[in-house]
Amino acid sequence: MGGHEIHELAPMNKLTVPFFALGLLVTGATATRAADVVIGVPDWSSATVTAHVLKALLKTEFGLEAGLEFGTNEAIFAAMDAGTEDIHPEVWLPNHSSLNAEYVLRRKSVVMSPKGVPARQGICLTKATQDAYDIVSVNDLTDPDKAAVFDTDGNGKGEIWIGAEDWSSTKVEKIRAKSYGYDQTMDLLEAPEAIAVTAIDAAIAGDKPLVFYCYEPHHTFELHDIVFLDEPPYDPRKWTVVMPDDDPDWLEKSSAGVAWPPSFFHINYSSKLANERPDVAAFLSAIRLDVDTVSEMTYALIVERRDPEEFSAQWMADNADRIAAWRKAANH
Amino acid sequence: MPEHDMPDPDSAKCNGQRRGLLRFFSGIFRARTGRYTLAALVFAAGSAAAININTQIYNPETRQWEQYDPNRAIRYFQQHGQTPAAFQRKIVTFRTAEKPGTVVIDGDKHFLYVVLPNFQAVRYGIGVGREGFGWAGIVNVGRKAEWPVWTPPAEMVARDPKAAKYAGGMPGGPDNPLGPRALYLYEGNKDSIYRIHGTTEPWSIGLNVSSGCIRLHNDDIVDLYERVEVGAKVIVLMQGAALYKGV
Repeated sequence: MGGHEIHELAPMNKLTVPFFALGLLVTGATATRAADVVIGVPDWSSATVTAHVLKALLKTEFGLEAGLEFGTNEAIFAAMDAGTEDIHPEVWLPNHSSLNAEYVLRRKSVVMSPKGVPARQGICLTKATQDAYDIVSVNDLTDPDKAAVFDTDGNGKGEIWIGAEDWSSTKVEKIRAKSYGYDQTMDLLEAPEAIAVTAIDAAIAGDKPLVFYCYEPHHTFELHDIVFLDEPPYDPRKWTVVMPDDDPDWLEKSSAGVAWPPSFFHINYSSKLANERPDVAAFLSAIRLDVDTVSEMTYALIVERRDPEEFSAQWMADNADRIAAWRKAANH
Repeated sequence: MPEHDMPDPDSAKCNGQRRGLLRFFSGIFRARTGRYTLAALVFAAGSAAAININTQIYNPETRQWEQYDPNRAIRYFQQHGQTPAAFQRKIVTFRTAEKPGTVVIDGDKHFLYVVLPNFQAVRYGIGVGREGFGWAGIVNVGRKAEWPVWTPPAEMVARDPKAAKYAGGMPGGPDNPLGPRALYLYEGNKDSIYRIHGTTEPWSIGLNVSSGCIRLHNDDIVDLYERVEVGAKVIVLMQGAALYKGV
């Protein structure tokens, strides 16, 4: 999911809450002191899965022991800057542009691999909801009658999950809601992804209308029949996004009543790693993932709960030619 | 029996309810501004006595506010001998990435699911106390108890002579408001003050009108108890924040 600069489960007020299935994948894999390389692991599913596959690749290709360290995007970038962590498996653009600007462009302590995986983010709903209520466009959410389909508290307005409280994408979704105007017809809800994803499961099981922020690749698309709502195409002239850290009046000064710009995610690594192990850095830059690959890996580890080590070994065996091509490209 | 005469069924929670009176309002505020908070929207135990005939319940099916009449629910149960079919225990399709044994609580629909292998789940009908609404979160089953002891909170003991005689704890049994089993929900190693338990008010299943946390039929809580291990993840979903008015 794009751009999720999560610090902790702030929305949960008094009680902190463990992150969902992803946490299970990371638990027990955080012994980083003895590691040769440390991979920072943000909290969303595809990044966690890619971290595990990278760990296995570094072992088999370079004999390196990789440790996995759970953290926020900011923490991982800062750790790469400090030299205590080496790799971020999935940096989203445009979501993490500001972090890239700081660490890749200005401080030059982090390197972005050149080839990104195309991704998509927007507003989704279940296909059953779309068929039942003829809701096909984001603009439909500005229709009070259609918005009321998603009303669960009787105030006449629908509810829509727009992301976790600390995700950068959540700020953008607030801007988009204001720009489209459905902030007037819908209550914008923030909660950890684990709850939102399970809410989709329950909505499907209970035949309940549901609309929510979404990003792809994500295992939920493999589990359920989910569709994006139509939007006007991205237009840079209509995309003015000011973030809260930059201006307290960010919401008033922002406007983004169009689709997200084309999104990509990249592997980033520290300049320290590039200096000390240029062969590893070149390999990371040569890795070519794609949506289908990431979706397959995510489904296997998150939904099927395959053992990460066992799955990674199998995946590498099945993709030996592909990995060899990455090695070859890295050597040129 | 009118609800306000019922003892509140869980001492730890009730203490939390008392503390949570102000959080009830702040919880609504947060929900309105779109942030779900665990332990928000808590209704004070003391105010259970203040519930009045003007209480209305939001029905998500009809999207209408409906007058709450506990006697109507009791009559329905007496006529049919059971709760509506939708709230009876059954195996359903439930596609999820959560592992078997995980509990999912959908307060809007008054369902509690226990995930089974192969994209199935056991679905139970639940009654949800007012304090059960307005928060979302992920907790775990910190402990389980058979025939749990119920201890009324100090404020209930002070105001209710019937509760006072159980100040030292009401032994488990058929009249114990916790029913035959209770699952205690923890945040990490800390008691969250919320419980899943049985009920002495089977007519309340499918409604969110009674005091108490998340309650199941006594047969269902026994079934759930056997299926769920200590340490199981419990996901409480987002739901409408203001399901009552007039209280």
